[in-house]
Amino acid sequence: MNLDPFLAASPLLVVALGGCLLMVAEAFSKHGREENDSRSAGPSGDLALGTAITLITGAIFSAGIWFVGPDKLEGSRALEPYLILDRFSLFFSFVLCVGGALSALLAGGYLPEHKLDRGEFYPLLIFSTLGAMMLAAAGDLLSLFLGLETMSLGVYALAGFRRASPRSTEAALKYFLLGSFAAAILLYGGALIYGATGHTDLAGIRAAITSTAATEGAANPAVLLIGVALVIVGLAFKVSAVPFHMWTPDAYEGAPTPATTFMAVAVKSAAFATLLRVLVEAFGDPALTSWASGWPPLLAFMALLTMTVANLIAGRQESVKRMLAYSSIAHAGYVLVGLVATIKVGGDAQASIMFYLLAYTASTVGAFGALILCGSRGAEAVSYEDLSGLGRRHPAAAMAFSFFLLSLAGTPPTAGFFSKFYIIKAALGAEHYVLVVVLVLNSVLSAYYYLRVLVFMYMREPAPGAPLARPMRSGYVTTALVLSAVLVLVLGVFPSTYLEIVAQAALASR
Amino acid sequence: MSSVPIEYYLVVAAVLFITGAIGFLLRRNLLILLMSIELMLNAVNLTLVAYNRIHPLNHNGQIFTFFVIAVAAAEASVGLAIVLAFYRVRRTMRSDEADLLRS
Amino acid sequence: MATYIPLLLLFLIAAIIAIAMFLLSTYIGPKNPTPEKMIPFECGSESTGGRFVKPSVKFYLTAILFVVFDLEAVLIYPWTIQFRSLGWVGLATMGSFIALLVVGLLYVWKKGALEWER
Repeated sequence: MNLDPFLAASPLLVVALGGCLLMVAEAFSKHGREENDSRSAGPSGDLALGTAITLITGAIFSAGIWFVGPDKLEGSRALEPYLILDRFSLFFSFVLCVGGALSALLAGGYLPEHKLDRGEFYPLLIFSTLGAMMLAAAGDLLSLFLGLETMSLGVYALAGFRRASPRSTEAALKYFLLGSFAAAILLYGGALIYGATGHTDLAGIRAAITSTAATEGAANPAVLLIGVALVIVGLAFKVSAVPFHMWTPDAYEGAPTPATTFMAVAVKSAAFATLLRVLVEAFGDPALTSWASGWPPLLAFMALLTMTVANLIAGRQESVKRMLAYSSIAHAGYVLVGLVATIKVGGDAQASIMFYLLAYTASTVGAFGALILCGSRGAEAVSYEDLSGLGRRHPAAAMAFSFFLLSLAGTPPTAGFFSKFYIIKAALGAEHYVLVVVLVLNSVLSAYYYLRVLVFMYMREPAPGAPLARPMRSGYVTTALVLSAVLVLVLGVFPSTYLEIVAQAALASR
Repeated sequence: MSSVPIEYYLVVAAVLFITGAIGFLLRRNLLILLMSIELMLNAVNLTLVAYNRIHPLNHNGQIFTFFVIAVAAAEASVGLAIVLAFYRVRRTMRSDEADLLRS
Repeated sequence: MATYIPLLLLFLIAAIIAIAMFLLSTYIGPKNPTPEKMIPFECGSESTGGRFVKPSVKFYLTAILFVVFDLEAVLIYPWTIQFRSLGWVGLATMGSFIALLVVGLLYVWKKGALEWER
């Protein structure tokens, strides 16, 4: 019996098995029953560690197979077209596992501190990560849908994890309703594409589009175009591109902060991975990528709108958490610029997107982690006022927060600067000057609200009598912050090395 | 025996899908929103099965439908749980009363 | 179009019979009501409680679990009809699928979701 297929799929299998084991272990542990979770010490410590170890193992397996080379494993193609286990998938498995592990560590500090210490959080997190990995590897609309739903169902539950809180349940409700609406739209688009081409696998769809475009006796181009548009709209919901972003600020604000981190990091990266794969592998035919009658102008328009609207609204927020939610929408806009550039410059643009998502993952985990660190004992740091004077009272927490915000704003020598730089370079290569100008203007605009946090931390004193935010002490949160800080620095100091490595993962546009 | 032309199925499915989408956008009762989503998913199922008839070489469409049915069940149960949690906290079933989170 | 006329007729006849039975019993049936006859029929025993009883939340939990576990059977049916041609690989696949379901059941059980009285 050939074990190579199992080896090739091992990142997924490790995460799935680890999730099952952890879930059952949690249920059988003395914390499993709900009655006694209010008094005794909660299960978070061990579970957070177990989750992080499981996901880091997944990341190590991905990296290991990357170094062996997935094409050297004989059976790595055995699971195609459902799961395509190439370097692209391995790269995203790595990013998603790292993002999930860091979110789990944040949860290990956050949940006990805010009396949310229930063990279900961690299995849900692992299975969502598994879904995200499946989504990034999906080479067929069927596995794409399954991965999307596996990921989303877990995240809906994570968003509503604080069951007694009206805000948390409302966040979950809005996220669930719009998320499943988007899934239905995506699915209908998939069904129409299946009808027009007779295939559900991405390569088959591509081949069918090419052959019908060549013979011009197209089976039903209108049906195909509607299908393509619906699929893109469905995925745009998931990456929260304007005008399909309405759920994002609400869901991000109401969810517990570790869940928000996971949504901002893993859900977005996986959705971009699958968007990239679908656009390049299935809709990459010249008939669909022409500027006159294809999807590129649609995406370019969405990118312009996403960057501008998100940055304009982000500046007006009073809650830092909500500001970070809008900032994550703005970052989706920057990635969309890279996506538009993939048509003309292919590999370079793809590498810039992947580098961007890696850098964004590290910086965003750091920013949300610092926000978590700044709150304690049921009093979360939420608004700008909560953070005032933090720079003098708790210099370490303030410095961590500043560092990650500077990376998000794109200041050298952090990862954020070079990731934006590579996107701009790719867009210039593709001659999308308008997009580049808007991107640069928006980066300047975004500096305002990132620096506003720094102003409050270092230059304002809290109003007399106002409750003071008091940073929590948690080894888990500190570990997560140190890890992401290292990642942000390393990517910022040696960007070209990592860009070259990432470039190996670019999809060949066949 | 003459069979029903495939276009009929597709039109019915499209009408169902649009009904579901309009219901989702216009209605305010949470349970009806859940039903609208189910209606949209069922329209997808009908489309897939109908298209399977003009692509008879494999059964991709029908297999897809099985998975959609199973996933829709999981989605409905998560959705019901969330709606129930919402109802317990807020004592309302209306989506326009979910307005705590605003900018 | 002509092929559907019998179907239409079937629907019509069914509707007519149903309506006719309802109307006939309303108009020509004998009526002599007594207080006992006017109370809601509850299998012969004395009825208790109001007309609107809110179903307990327990039912929702059971219903949700039922929906999930019941629908998984959908994925087992296609395997049963191709049972022989799929061979050992099919059996192993379905075995792992059911093993995953058992893990889920174990979880639900240990979490106490199956206990009616809590």
